[in-house]
Amino acid sequence: MPEVTTPARARSFEPVLLRVLASSFMLFVIAYIAIPIVINLTMSFSDAAMIRFPITGWSLRWYHDFFESEQWTGALVNSIVIALGTTVIATSAGILAAWAFERFPIPFKDGWYLLIMLPLFMPGVVLGLGVAIAFGGAVIGGYSIYGSRELVMIAHSLWAMPLVFMLMEATFRTLDYRILEASYDLGGRPIRTFFEIVMPLVSTGVISSALFAFVISLNEFVMALFLTNRDTQTLPVLMWLSLRSAGTPRLAVASVILALAVFACLTLIMLWYVRQLAKVSR
Amino acid sequence: MPRARFAPWLLLAPALVIVLVFFGIPTLYMARMSFNLHIDQRLYVPGFTVEHYLNLFSNPLFTNAIWTTVQLSLLASFFTVLLGYSFALLVWLQPTRWRLAFIGLALCPLLISEISIIFGWWMFFPRNGLLSYALVSSGLITNKISLMYTEFAAFVGLVYLTLPYSFFILLSIFDGIDKHLLEASADLAAPPLTTFREVLLPLTRTGILVAFAQSFIWVMGTYATPSALGPDTLWTMGYLIQEQMLGKHNWPMAAAFSMVLVIGVACVMILTRSLMSKRTAFHA
Repeated sequence: MPEVTTPARARSFEPVLLRVLASSFMLFVIAYIAIPIVINLTMSFSDAAMIRFPITGWSLRWYHDFFESEQWTGALVNSIVIALGTTVIATSAGILAAWAFERFPIPFKDGWYLLIMLPLFMPGVVLGLGVAIAFGGAVIGGYSIYGSRELVMIAHSLWAMPLVFMLMEATFRTLDYRILEASYDLGGRPIRTFFEIVMPLVSTGVISSALFAFVISLNEFVMALFLTNRDTQTLPVLMWLSLRSAGTPRLAVASVILALAVFACLTLIMLWYVRQLAKVSR
Repeated sequence: MPRARFAPWLLLAPALVIVLVFFGIPTLYMARMSFNLHIDQRLYVPGFTVEHYLNLFSNPLFTNAIWTTVQLSLLASFFTVLLGYSFALLVWLQPTRWRLAFIGLALCPLLISEISIIFGWWMFFPRNGLLSYALVSSGLITNKISLMYTEFAAFVGLVYLTLPYSFFILLSIFDGIDKHLLEASADLAAPPLTTFREVLLPLTRTGILVAFAQSFIWVMGTYATPSALGPDTLWTMGYLIQEQMLGKHNWPMAAAFSMVLVIGVACVMILTRSLMSKRTAFHA
């Protein structure tokens, strides 16, 4: 009966071929994702004055160079300060808005929702340009807003805040609101209940969204390019500008340091998460 | 109770201030700016003209940029979805112990700054880069080659940046599918490719659409990767906005360009939504 044997034979042949194809595809994807990361890591330990393969000598020369350069460490400090500021602004505004959406009836809810989420879908070039031309000459009390770190923090919050808002809305939805009722019944006022009952319950969500905000701001450089000057430029901006002139292993060092900052944050989330899990199991 | 009426607005205030003052006002300002005059090297001169929009759609420099951007976005999104789909499918089929490792791997491009990634590829493609070195030392080619500043390099960089989004969108879609469907299909004697075509593809169509739209929007708005890795002639819209703003100091032109970009992005979003709702309506 050929009708039966044909699919049977096809079945015994196809899985082998598919498995080989699948494994080689996986290897390809792993290599694709790993290449830029591994190159940055290895090049940062190069001893050479320029980018060249094969790498002939290894040293920490460019790390010394990075930390001795006032311009580069200054940019790193700017990046961290701006990222911390963005985290505070985006997290507090996002959490409060998400709480309002979860707990109160709001007229035109969908419209407000769209408005808050909209900046997340806008290209960085457009957001940066808009803020730059609208606040280009703005001066408050002799303090020029344009070029200040604060303006960059708020511009970065345009991306970070919708993300926090989205995450926290999902987190608040998982809360057991009977606990809140209990707190109100025991005379807890709304603000105190929020900080003493709600916040501890959603702490994992808060920590994760805060770190997302931090990472977004730390890595962003298109908006920052439009909004910073020489004194406030962030590390990615400085990397971009020096890539345009000439690439040296110093850029690889800067990449590694940026990535280390991000992974340090991730480790923090993990530790926090493990601690919470341990608390629950106790 | 007035208290309950004011409370939500008080809570929403910081978010709304940020969005309205730093997104709403700049957008309106940009819309107005795009009609201002640009006379002899001054940033802008208040006035009203549609010259910049006309220029945008008649000057071959700008129409080419729009066309290049759309083309590049379509092509990059296509390959992103293709790669992302296969990757997500294979991860979904893997035993769970590998799953976390692959998810971690896919997170890497998201966590690393775009500039670091650009620089990584910047060291990979040129004459003295890793690719050329690896090919020469393995004996595949005899002379050093450079793929730097080609459309291929720009393309590799762009797909790299959008791949994780596609992957995570599609993986979440796959996770919603009951794996028993595959067994059922196999029991009914369907070979794997038939199962894929008849069972998996229809179930993941919405995910493909969302992933495609997402990477299309992303690539439309980006400018750093194509301008750093691609040839000098690869002028995308993002690059021209930056060039008009910081290089040529022509603010009205940059604003007009941005408005076109924003409207393009909005159109893609609306189109995706309408395609999605049509599909769900069909199923219901």
